[in-house]
Amino acid sequence: MNEAGIEETVSPPAPPAPPASAGLREGARAGARAGVVVAVSRGMAAEWGKLWSVRSTWWCVAGTVALTVLAALTLGGSRVTELLRDGVTTVRLPATDAAISAMVFAQLTLVALAMPAITSEYASGSIRSTLRATPIRGRMLAAKALVVAPAAFVIGVLSGAAAAAAAYLVLSAPIFGGLVTLPAGRTAVDLLRLGVFCALVSVLALGLGAALRNAAGTLTVVFMLLLGLPLLLLMSGAPVAMELALRLPMFAGLAFMESADNPTGGPLPYGSWEGLAWLAGWTAAGLAAGLAVLRRRDA
Amino acid sequence: MKARGGGRDGRMNVVVLSDTHAPQGRLRPGSSGMVRETAIGVGGSPPWRAEGRVPSVDDVISLDRLGKRYGDRMAVDGLTLRLRTGAVTGFLGPNGAGKSTTMRMILGLDRPTEGRALIGGRPYHELANPLRTVGATLDARAVHPGRSVRAHLLALARASGIGRARVAEVLEMVGLDAVAGKRAGTLSLGMSQRAGIAGALLGDPEVLMFDEPVNGLDPDGVRWVRRLMRSLAAEGRTVFVASHLMSEMQLTADHLVVIGKGRLIVDAPLKEVLAAGAVLVRSPHAGDLALLLAAEGVAVERRAENELVATGAPIERIGDLAHEAGIRLHELSAREASLEQAYQELTANSVEYGSAR
Repeated sequence: MNEAGIEETVSPPAPPAPPASAGLREGARAGARAGVVVAVSRGMAAEWGKLWSVRSTWWCVAGTVALTVLAALTLGGSRVTELLRDGVTTVRLPATDAAISAMVFAQLTLVALAMPAITSEYASGSIRSTLRATPIRGRMLAAKALVVAPAAFVIGVLSGAAAAAAAYLVLSAPIFGGLVTLPAGRTAVDLLRLGVFCALVSVLALGLGAALRNAAGTLTVVFMLLLGLPLLLLMSGAPVAMELALRLPMFAGLAFMESADNPTGGPLPYGSWEGLAWLAGWTAAGLAAGLAVLRRRDA
Repeated sequence: MKARGGGRDGRMNVVVLSDTHAPQGRLRPGSSGMVRETAIGVGGSPPWRAEGRVPSVDDVISLDRLGKRYGDRMAVDGLTLRLRTGAVTGFLGPNGAGKSTTMRMILGLDRPTEGRALIGGRPYHELANPLRTVGATLDARAVHPGRSVRAHLLALARASGIGRARVAEVLEMVGLDAVAGKRAGTLSLGMSQRAGIAGALLGDPEVLMFDEPVNGLDPDGVRWVRRLMRSLAAEGRTVFVASHLMSEMQLTADHLVVIGKGRLIVDAPLKEVLAAGAVLVRSPHAGDLALLLAAEGVAVERRAENELVATGAPIERIGDLAHEAGIRLHELSAREASLEQAYQELTANSVEYGSAR
């Protein structure tokens, strides 16, 4: 790196061969492979700066934390009072359970943070600047995903922690029967899983944003996929619809996080790892859709 | 230092770390045009010059039967071009002629449906560090309205491995340092235009492309852009400017490319395009002269009893013919066509596009 901070990929001097020679082509390909890491990491630095240089990101962070805390208190509170009404006093509820239930709603504010990383670029036209700097579509999308995912992970962990802490502080009071607990091991695992859930959902939203390009359309599709569709299918009561609903990101996420409480009222038919697999599958599908459109359509 | 980037042999991705490669050069608006100041490195020459490489015509931009089809309409149709280094090439054509589409294809944003556009012998997406090779402004307003100009430029710089100091430098060059922290949505069109130009200069690139760069600029800004283009070309860079402002191009461009309905109409030096103008002759024997010139195959238009306008022959020949025939002349003057007239004629002569205007 020199004084002005310019980094360049250093590749060995190409042999003095005619341009069409196989050796030079091979060299160019090797150079291109080495360039992936450089291009994506530079793209990530750019995306990280872009993410935090607009106010909406900060509003979304604040909104996610506030919504998670609020929903954890109301959902956890109603769960506790329900149990107490039924005379159950032996059950212990980890505070993070309330945080997990709350995130089913708060994930939408996270979507509002992740999605604009691409949709706002199409709205303003700045996608053309972005692509001029990082012209290979896959690298550009990778850079965005690799910035959105860790950001969403951290926000997920932090808002989960805030929600669990709030739920524990309020709901462990004697009037709530002391049902809510905060066991260290379980809390740590749950918070990590919350972070992973948030990261995967955010990247799914990013991929769909790249596929659909406009914010309104993307938000509608993401909302239906994450919340609307699973609940509608669940309400239909048909066995096939139920099976489908349980594979959508919401139930996959709840299974992954081993939520004690879910809208089906019963236990989910598969375990944590299968839940993660389904969730990651949805994210991969969203990214693939985004990449396919990015490659096909003009910017 | 060896094997620095060299597009001529198709090895533009071979860039070796070097202290002279930084975008240390500075362009500043000044009363005597642009002054290039060099902080470090070799004296005054652009970094890509430091390699001892004089770009050849093939080095820079070449379009090879470039075409873009939308449905059954050809927005760009078989465009073959080589852009000259060290010159400002004006890119003219009526609205919808395909100028912006062509530029987007060169920049790898739109995919050509036919032919190809190469920069240094490679398609845009194969450039090792595109912003250090090609700088462009396509749409001045294409910045997130909630993001500051500085943050926008910083993102572009980071994506290209360019240091933060260079962002401050280009902001100063375009005179936006005072408002760089403001949200882009609050800036005037002129300021946005300057911000766009700052983005183009960021990587100190060898090739610069501007789409309607003076839109929204005040007269001072227009003059500044004119000087900037001239000085960029004087440094040996390739400057490609799409515009519909003929008067501006007449003052700025060395070379003209005119397209209509996506097809190439003219690819010629500005001087040649303007020299297609007419010669005004006043003579007491205008009638005799008209007959003489017509016999020599010169197109003549009789303006008045003693005045005619000849087209299609150099002024010297008209003078010589008159002299040989002993015809007295009271005036013999070249009526250099304005670019606007030339443009009208060029596009009108091309029958296919006659109805386009």
